[in-house]
Amino acid sequence: MFKVIGAAFILLATTWSGFEIARGFTERPRQLRQLKSSLQALEAEIMYGHTPLRDASLKLSKQLPQPLSLFFTAFASKMENNETTVRDAWTESLQEVWKSLSLKQSEYEILVQFGETLGRHDRMSQQKQIILTLTHLEREEKEALDRQSKYEKMIKSLGFLSGLLLIIILL
Amino acid sequence: MDSVFSILPRNIGDQLRVLPEAVQDCMEEIRVRIARPLEIMAGGEPHFLPYVVTYEDSDQLLNALSQFSLYTIEEELRRGYVTIEGGHRVGLAGKVVLENSSVKAIRDISSFNIRIARQKIGAAERLVPLLFDGSWKHTLLIGAPQTGKTTLLRDIARIVSSGMDSKGIGSRKVGIVDERSEIAGCVRGIPQLELGPRVDILDSCPKAEGMMMLIRSMSPDVLVVDEIGRKEDTEAVLEAANAGIKLIITTHGNSLEEIRKRPIIQRILDEHIFERFVEVTRGAAPGTISTVRDASGKELRLGTGAAYV
Repeated sequence: MFKVIGAAFILLATTWSGFEIARGFTERPRQLRQLKSSLQALEAEIMYGHTPLRDASLKLSKQLPQPLSLFFTAFASKMENNETTVRDAWTESLQEVWKSLSLKQSEYEILVQFGETLGRHDRMSQQKQIILTLTHLEREEKEALDRQSKYEKMIKSLGFLSGLLLIIILL
Repeated sequence: MDSVFSILPRNIGDQLRVLPEAVQDCMEEIRVRIARPLEIMAGGEPHFLPYVVTYEDSDQLLNALSQFSLYTIEEELRRGYVTIEGGHRVGLAGKVVLENSSVKAIRDISSFNIRIARQKIGAAERLVPLLFDGSWKHTLLIGAPQTGKTTLLRDIARIVSSGMDSKGIGSRKVGIVDERSEIAGCVRGIPQLELGPRVDILDSCPKAEGMMMLIRSMSPDVLVVDEIGRKEDTEAVLEAANAGIKLIITTHGNSLEEIRKRPIIQRILDEHIFERFVEVTRGAAPGTISTVRDASGKELRLGTGAAYV
């Protein structure tokens, strides 16, 4: 009796961790996509709305789902005080929410780079920077999608099967 | 003053807050230059404060002016000044970026001049009996820079738009072409200074074009324009004056005699449009009216109305 319950627990645990890891593979392209559309929205705010960064990121935070919205909320609230710079506010907010995002180090670098240029140029150069960042993110997204199709299913079944293997060995 | 303090970096704000009230009240300019002592102009006198402005201060000031977004003040960077809430103006100087040999923007800003706007309500009340006789007269205000002609002009605009019950003057529609955002101090199109209820403002619009636009679109009774002096302005002034609209205009100069020698102004004078000339000099206080003349150049006596300033 105990053996059956134990086996069920093992199977549950490994399957669950398999799904959890696989979730990272689905989340990454999704968040990249959201990030891309948020940058496009930011571009529109800058180019046509002349909206200051703080107002623009408040707007963005309302449009986006979590956890990306938390990033823009943090960014906007950091700019309330005049003694910071856009770069610092951007990087700090990025660090704050990074743990809850499923993105990778290379994406972090891209975003930090982008933060360096934000709010420091005229509209045209600002737009160029956004387009450049978008192409970088697109490349990352393609890679992320690739990995998703390769590994997502495999990790899921790997979790289940490794649990099964463990049970067989232990029995 | 609060709107000025809200944009100043903390270090600079702290320096100003400890100044005696009397100095704070008559502050005209705050000049911030990187690596040089903070200067304030108060009552026409320069004062230097024992604080050397740092690079961070100027960065913070610029961030506050642009709300962290330089692209929002692109146009202002091209013109060299930013109007902030309260109608105060911040002049900028630094490295100029050219495009097709015209100024595109100022980069590496190293000097800021915060000019504090103080509206003197009632400054022009003494003039009213001379400028109004059944209807408003075409008026030219003449004065050198910093003499307070704009202050007078603004107050005239306020009186025209709100009327003056004590003298039986009804209110009129006023159109203002505010090329340098000086008359109304608009922020996002809304005047920050008191101008009465019947004012329509074209903010930062070229004068010549703006005058014609207002005539066509807003049908003003009185058109108020600052600092006429370019060639194309002449055309617009002549056009407007003959369109049944009263003009109240300022120009640089010391006296009527002097501006007669300026070729562009001369053309306007030759048309004998203006019925009143007001010469403004900086006497004891800015905005002292020295003489008012009628169309023929004859001096008119100023009434001993309420003392102004």
